[in-house]
Amino acid sequence: MKRFSLAVVSALTALATTASTGAAAEKVTLYCSAQEDWCQVMARGFEEETGIKVNMTRKSSGETFAQIKAESANPKGDVWWGGTGDPHLQAAEEGLTEPYVTPMRGELNDWAISQATSAGDKTIGIYSGALGYGYNKDLLAAAGLPEPKCWADLTKPEFKGHVQMANPNSSGTAYTTLATIMQLFGEDKGFDFMKALHVNINQYTKSGSAPIKAAARGETTVGIVFMHDAVKQAVKGFPITVVAPCEGTGYEIGSMSIILGSRNLENAQKFYDWALTADVQSMALQVNAFQVPSNKGAETSPSAPDLASIKLIDYDFKLYGSSAERRRLLKKWDEDVSVLPQ
Amino acid sequence: MIFWIVVGWVSFLVLPWYGVEDGLFAFEWLFDGYPWDADYAPAAFLIAQGEKLWLTPLILPLVAVLFCLGRVKSDPVYAKILILTGAAGFCWVFMQGFGIGLRGWQFEWLEALFGPLGDRQFGMGFGAMLLSSAFLFLFTQGIAARGAINGDVFVVSTIGLVIAIVTIFVFFPIAKMLVAAFVTEDGNYSITVFASKFFDDRIWGLSCLTGGPRCGVAWNSLFLAVVVGFLSTALGLVFALVVTRSNFRFKRNLRALTVLPIITPPFVIGLALILMFGQSGAVTKFVADLLDMQPSRWLYGLPGLMIAQTLAFTPIAFLVLIGVVEGVSPSMEEAAQTLRAGRWQVFRTVSLPLMRPGLANAFLLGFIESMADFGNPLVLGGNYDVLSTDIFFAIVGAQYDQGRAAVLAMVLLTFTLGAFYAQRFWLGNKSYTSVSGKGDSGVHPLMPRRLAIPVYVLAAVWASFTVIIYLMIVYGSFVELWGVNNTLTFKHYFTAFSFSFVEDGIRWTGSAWDSFWTTLKIATIAAPLTASLGLVTAYLLTRQTFVGKNAFEFGTMLSFAIPGTVIGVSYILAFNVPPLELTGTGIILVISFIFRNMPVGVRAGIASMSQLDKSLDEASLTLGANSWQTFQRVILPLLRPAILAALVYSFVRAMTAISAVIFLVSAQYNMATAYIIGRVENNDYGLAIAYSTTLIVVMLTAVGILQLLVGRINIGRRSGLGSK
Amino acid sequence: MGDVQGSVPNEVGVDMGEMTKNSKAASVTFDNVTKVYGKTVTAVDNISIRVDPGKLVTLLGPSGCGKTTTLRMIAGLEMATKGRILIGDTDVTTLPATDRDVSMVFQSYALFPHMTVLENVSYGLKYSGFAKDETRSRALEGLQLVGLKGYDDRLPSELSGGQQQRVAVARALVLEPQVLLFDEPLSNLDAKLRRQVRQDIRDIQQNLGLTVVYVTHDQEEALAVSDRIIVMRNAGVAQEGSPRDLYEAPVDRFVADFIGEANLIPCVIESVTAQIATISVGGIKHQLDARDLPAGSALIAVRPGRVRLTAEAGENVIAAKISKATYVGNHMEYIVEAAFGAVFAMSDDVVNPFLTGQDVGLGFAESGPVLLPGE
Repeated sequence: MKRFSLAVVSALTALATTASTGAAAEKVTLYCSAQEDWCQVMARGFEEETGIKVNMTRKSSGETFAQIKAESANPKGDVWWGGTGDPHLQAAEEGLTEPYVTPMRGELNDWAISQATSAGDKTIGIYSGALGYGYNKDLLAAAGLPEPKCWADLTKPEFKGHVQMANPNSSGTAYTTLATIMQLFGEDKGFDFMKALHVNINQYTKSGSAPIKAAARGETTVGIVFMHDAVKQAVKGFPITVVAPCEGTGYEIGSMSIILGSRNLENAQKFYDWALTADVQSMALQVNAFQVPSNKGAETSPSAPDLASIKLIDYDFKLYGSSAERRRLLKKWDEDVSVLPQ
Repeated sequence: MIFWIVVGWVSFLVLPWYGVEDGLFAFEWLFDGYPWDADYAPAAFLIAQGEKLWLTPLILPLVAVLFCLGRVKSDPVYAKILILTGAAGFCWVFMQGFGIGLRGWQFEWLEALFGPLGDRQFGMGFGAMLLSSAFLFLFTQGIAARGAINGDVFVVSTIGLVIAIVTIFVFFPIAKMLVAAFVTEDGNYSITVFASKFFDDRIWGLSCLTGGPRCGVAWNSLFLAVVVGFLSTALGLVFALVVTRSNFRFKRNLRALTVLPIITPPFVIGLALILMFGQSGAVTKFVADLLDMQPSRWLYGLPGLMIAQTLAFTPIAFLVLIGVVEGVSPSMEEAAQTLRAGRWQVFRTVSLPLMRPGLANAFLLGFIESMADFGNPLVLGGNYDVLSTDIFFAIVGAQYDQGRAAVLAMVLLTFTLGAFYAQRFWLGNKSYTSVSGKGDSGVHPLMPRRLAIPVYVLAAVWASFTVIIYLMIVYGSFVELWGVNNTLTFKHYFTAFSFSFVEDGIRWTGSAWDSFWTTLKIATIAAPLTASLGLVTAYLLTRQTFVGKNAFEFGTMLSFAIPGTVIGVSYILAFNVPPLELTGTGIILVISFIFRNMPVGVRAGIASMSQLDKSLDEASLTLGANSWQTFQRVILPLLRPAILAALVYSFVRAMTAISAVIFLVSAQYNMATAYIIGRVENNDYGLAIAYSTTLIVVMLTAVGILQLLVGRINIGRRSGLGSK
Repeated sequence: MGDVQGSVPNEVGVDMGEMTKNSKAASVTFDNVTKVYGKTVTAVDNISIRVDPGKLVTLLGPSGCGKTTTLRMIAGLEMATKGRILIGDTDVTTLPATDRDVSMVFQSYALFPHMTVLENVSYGLKYSGFAKDETRSRALEGLQLVGLKGYDDRLPSELSGGQQQRVAVARALVLEPQVLLFDEPLSNLDAKLRRQVRQDIRDIQQNLGLTVVYVTHDQEEALAVSDRIIVMRNAGVAQEGSPRDLYEAPVDRFVADFIGEANLIPCVIESVTAQIATISVGGIKHQLDARDLPAGSALIAVRPGRVRLTAEAGENVIAAKISKATYVGNHMEYIVEAAFGAVFAMSDDVVNPFLTGQDVGLGFAESGPVLLPGE
């Protein structure tokens, strides 16, 4: 650690207390909420390119949010990279993150920038992925079910006990599903749909991607998840077919934020800019991440769901990302849907 | 006494007062601006420079305590000085620590009282910590000099120390967390918010009894915990009986087998169960084909949880019970036999009642473990919600509702408290002393036949079940993609643990080495500390009487009763800011392990110690040994089974814990289980299980080494000496 | 228990040469000591006693009388609630057990089950700062003293009850403490062994000149071993004195009844002249020490051996009838019915015993009966 010299300290003893928070030039602490190997690639890549040491901790976006909030009086992290956009938005709303306007904006897709503007520049989109579902081909055939193509197919009576989704109270993915259905069908019809779906659900999982993993292992037939998660299971060799629902669907924007009170602000911004370059975003391919990158110039995997061919809704991140609306919808879901008999 | 005065002065004059950012064990500060740099300066130098003047009052008690030098112990002034200076110094260190933080005054009323401060301070370092312990021990010596606890300095100091650290590391963070239950959305405090959260139907609903979809989480957790508590105690007893009271030949193998589940990282048992009994599991498919039915999801929910938790917690019950079952004095059983009781009657009327403390403790542990279990409900819970996972998702889920988490934690705590007092009530005031100061020459009788047959059958069934599960796990680590592509491969081990020989030694190239070494290091540091603190506490609880003993005992059980997730979050809340700034260090992991796992040491210690006659201690005291020597030379050697249990348990739990750890790991200190969870989340079961299997092997080796180190006690013929 | 040594009382004395008289033997003084458990239970109530150096004093009394608490306060295992305790001239009231130069033999022996006999005996020496060789030689000497030479490597569980007891004695003895305490040390032994061991203890005590405080509820044991006896009752001292004092001049009916058996017979003191009282009992007159009692109703305590039976009624004998006669080998035991009730009597005449139902005359030996205050 670089320290103030003895001479300076004895001359300016009054200022010396600031020394312990004095920035160390060559490190950055990264909270990473993407998959482990992707996080590793990002951390090592940045270290190799800049010589700045990266201290990386990988946790889910919910856990990271909880940690940043708990640490807010004395922040330990510098940059939070990856994970679904909602907690990033919420962190921005609660004033846990710091605004930053990157020079990279010109290279980014519009959705990435709109994510930034809706949060007062406190976060930015780094990748996006559409919501959908996947099913286990073998189980579907064994049960003699028709291939589902639309959201509505999942509410058919023959799918009773075959569908799994996460609990919107605990999972950001499932909340995105709830918000998507509201935006697709309108609130009243949307809740009718959720009630009909409820009858067919065999389990509300706690974690967002658990349903497709269960489908991959043959523990459920259909799992409602982000499509890139489903693609990943298919690529691994599990008998999974990915479905983009015919009515259209919503999407998430994986985000990045700089933590308020960062001790290595300069390096955090360096990382921020670096992470938005095309070359860096193309590294997702090395680790089987099938999200769509936010840099227009970055490569996309041929297996990744093509956002252009999917009917995407104009997802209102500002409204549905706000705490008040979230609480209202979840309360309604809790009271009107989850208590119904299955 | 002089020692602690010296320590106090040294820590005030010489050691850096504030925490050094590079950790306690980096000594760069010695060469870098010390002693004048305010970051490293000792308190005396700070004051000399006109800095941190609120530390000045500490000089008073440090000087005052010098007045008791040269006085004799029985002089009432001596005690008075020590008590006053110790208490004053200790309180001031903590009051200034909590009162003045990173942003100046921590409380608005202080600011109102003294005006803005314009200064701030960081976390406590060597100086502050040692000075406060010096004050603490001066205080306890004063109390002892006044004649408390027969004037025993060791005992009084130990009580003081344990109370202080339990308060700091258990009560304080939990209180901080629970306060959150009363916080409204805009940051104020309100009882109605608490009430509405507390009386939520999702917690207390009983609709499942009347045909509704599901009951409240509180009832779910309670029911599960009671069932698992009973099952694991019963099975633990079965194994303990087979090992101690039968001629069964493969006792040692059985012993190792029962220890297996305890050294298994979380999720692994759940995953194995799914592969066997899940909807597409081998067994389910086979049975479904046989009966021509659709495979069902029966495993998810209560049945799966019961199986997995019983598998996981039976070994804990076994470890507690084995000491007790061995400790039942054979001569009492022999006495009963000579009184014309048949073997079955002896067992029912003498052996079993004498095992009651063990049974009660085993049940309590099973109950609490089940309540706090996190990994199994996550994988197998289905729609059967329990408190621990609900707490976790209340914090990290989409709602970020810390208040709800705090309320759920309170419910959990209430149940634990209830179980604790129920156990007390059941044990009552009966005496279970059975190893007295007289040498015991009896030999344990064999089990009665009526008992032996069902015991053998149960043990055999459960043992083979365990074996099959573990074979599946090992197999799973060697296949390409478990359940889909069953080609055998070593690739997962290569990914995780590859290394290469280079010129200057070995290069650890595998992706798991980092977390592996950290885990091993932290577990090795935590285990002996946990075991000693646990046994010392047990000693205080069984052998000493002091005011507030019950509250004290409950405090030591508290951290165990609250799920790790809550501990994790509350530790971050409590120790991220001065005066105790510990997050991001390895120390916080070690501390969380110590307080999470200490209760097992306490329980095992209490169960064994209540079987040791008190006259043994007294004899040692009258022979001129002091209480520390007595503890060390008489009690500890007789407690070897309990020591082993505590050591093994704390080591293993430090290596396999997940729920608290997930909040406390940091970049430099990543733990194996956090790494494994990342892999599981990624559906990388091969790698996760390969890593877990490696951990199991490492822990088995460690348990073996511990067993050798601790050794066995020799107190009578039943320990094998009779054959001489 | 054929392995018991020292059956000849003096045998143990043979080895006494090595251990010299204990110059450290100190007195024990209790100065208005009270012990209260919790808030309400008074175990010892304001007692003041003194044990002289080199003497064996027994605390005797029924269970619950406070004798064990008193002993434990000397040891430092309990702390006095009020009052002062001195060992020698040192005030030890607040001193913990470890720091007192006192050792104790426990009722349960409290041998450390995980240590060998030698390790048990060496235990205290080790903590008293003796060098290794010294510790070993003293421990071996101690074992020899109690007749357990050669048992060094055994575990306590491999010894008989009597041997365990002697290990416990040796362990306490080798420390040559200022005061040695015994808490009912013989209660786990059989009758014959008990007689031998108590004699051994007495011999060792006398030969080494130890101060010993000994707790028992067995009055015979107390009479046999003690220099002085302190009889305790209800947390207080009932009487203190030499065995003979207590036996022959009990102060009240509790002591009279507790120390040996005594027939308590109501009587009337008719006159007192020069401390000699003339009493009337069962119609006869008898003269004995008045013990400061005034004229009026009183009791006399008569030991069974001091009852005289004669074949026919005569002068100064009370008419009575044998209601039960028992032959017990070396003497006869009789229950005799008189007008004032039943009297228990013993007679050495086994050649011509009285028969059940026989009318006899009942009288008292000259120095036997003692006057006690009446109810």
